[in-house]
Amino acid sequence: MQGFNDQVIEAAHRRTVPGSRFAARAANLLARSTVRETAATTIVVLLLIAAMEVASWYVPDYIMPSPEAVSAAIWRLANTDYIHVFATLGRLAAALSFSLVAGVLLGLLMALSPLLRPFIRSLVVIDTGIPALSWILLAVFWFKNPETRIFFILIMILMPFYALSIYDGFRALPKDLVDMIESFRPSQLQTLRYLIVPHLVPYVILTTKSVIGYATRMVIFAELVASALGVGSRMGLAQSTFHIDEVLAWTFFLVVLNIVLQLLVTAIEKAVLGWRQETAVR
Amino acid sequence: MNMRPTDLGSVVGAPVISLRGVRKDFSGHRVVDDLSFDVARGEIVTLLGRTGAGKTTVLNIIMGTTGIDAGAVRVAGADPFKEFKSLKGRLSVAFQNDRLLPWRTTVENAELGLLILGEDRKRARAKAIEWLANVNLAGAEDKYPHQLSGGMRQRVSLARALAVDPELILLDESFSQLDHVTSRTLRRDFCKVAREFGKTCLIVTHRIDDALEMADRVIVLGPGARIMLEMPLAEARIDQQTRDQCRAQIETALGGKDEADES
Ligand SMILES: Nc1ncnc2c1ncn2[C@@H]1O[C@H](COP(=O)(O)OP(=O)(O)O)[C@@H](O)[C@H]1O
Ligand SMILES: [Mg+2]
Repeated sequence: MQGFNDQVIEAAHRRTVPGSRFAARAANLLARSTVRETAATTIVVLLLIAAMEVASWYVPDYIMPSPEAVSAAIWRLANTDYIHVFATLGRLAAALSFSLVAGVLLGLLMALSPLLRPFIRSLVVIDTGIPALSWILLAVFWFKNPETRIFFILIMILMPFYALSIYDGFRALPKDLVDMIESFRPSQLQTLRYLIVPHLVPYVILTTKSVIGYATRMVIFAELVASALGVGSRMGLAQSTFHIDEVLAWTFFLVVLNIVLQLLVTAIEKAVLGWRQETAVR
Repeated sequence: MNMRPTDLGSVVGAPVISLRGVRKDFSGHRVVDDLSFDVARGEIVTLLGRTGAGKTTVLNIIMGTTGIDAGAVRVAGADPFKEFKSLKGRLSVAFQNDRLLPWRTTVENAELGLLILGEDRKRARAKAIEWLANVNLAGAEDKYPHQLSGGMRQRVSLARALAVDPELILLDESFSQLDHVTSRTLRRDFCKVAREFGKTCLIVTHRIDDALEMADRVIVLGPGARIMLEMPLAEARIDQQTRDQCRAQIETALGGKDEADES
């Protein structure tokens, strides 16, 4: 029984966040790209734009608008819709921080309390098995306030990643180091501060790195279904009013946002985990 | 660096470590069988024995992380297992592997014990720097453990143990994983510092050289941590001839020469 549970946990944890690997690699490429790589990227982007241009000559505007029309839409939206961008980013930040804190606490509880462990583990494992779409639809039934809906959806999706990662991190705590710090007879708070927390920081950062792209996509989805405010709802509106130029404009924005977020987390990782950077690069 | 004033539990003259008839079983297997010995204040004693003799278990009993099945243990006047917290700041341990925290720099590792004892940050930092200099590590304060050699890391580990200014320092094979040259200089440096500050040390090792070069006294343990030989070594540290005699005696007590003991 125990063994089976462990397997389920392992399997749930190994489940990678869709697209995260690619996004992380893309960001890494960008972060330390050579002149050649930058040139290649530029060529690809130019080719994509050219392809759009050519396609726009042969198909109607509502299938493929010209790059010029899209850039006009970007400009237009930047002036009128920035409030929606802020709403989306705010929701993302709030949900991500809450999931981080709550997930870490759940993971710690799971690690520290043998009594609660099986219960929390089952909950987390069941949660990871529930599709994001189910949470989105359920949230619409259960909550009226769009903020509550989106917050709920994101937390249900993101929290288990943190909880499982922290639980794993805790189990990977080297016994040698525990004995070492114990030999100084620290208080529990000191053990937490000098050993456990610093040991878990990389797990939190790496989890954030792997879920942030996924979280961005989920917030857009949730907004599409559950709110009239935010990038997702604007994309829905653009689609239903046949503004494909705006759909593409938002898409462009989301691609850039994803890259920026990855760079941000990578920068935080470098700053906080500097002590192991050199071994990682070598 | 001044010694902490001795308190009532450990009047000068009373042994810092005292074991009487100590027994420890692990799942029916008797690992420590009726062991008794004392270590006096300021003394450097080695517990020497083959792998599996039960040395680390004895050390853990003295450290207070392992309880006993029979007998009595007193460390600095307290029962190290039952009164675990009461020995806070009074003993420290250096292990076989350095056990440095990889996210802390050299100086941050060295000051760890002091911070746990509640020393204020500035004074902890100053003391850590001083102890790093004492173990010949001046200049490496801001390096991370992965940037140091094995010998340097072991020095940091010793500085961390020394910095809390404990009455008792326990060493478990602290020099065993290093090559002979590094190990020799480190042993010499450690002993110099330990004697200069009058530290009581119990050094667990399986290498005869460790005992001959550092100890005032050696206790040779056989299987079940039974004492095979107990002998003063102060003379042997100075005189080559006594040293060779002692080595021969210890080898006999251990039951023959062991490859690991060659230098
Ligand atoms: N926690 C433990 N549980 C069971 N057996 C143990 C434990 N610790 C040590 N032993 C056993 O006790 C014996 C002595 O071990 P140890 O004290 O580590 O010896 P040494 O340090 O002299 O090599 C070994 O046979 C070992 O397997
Ligand atoms: Mg051992």
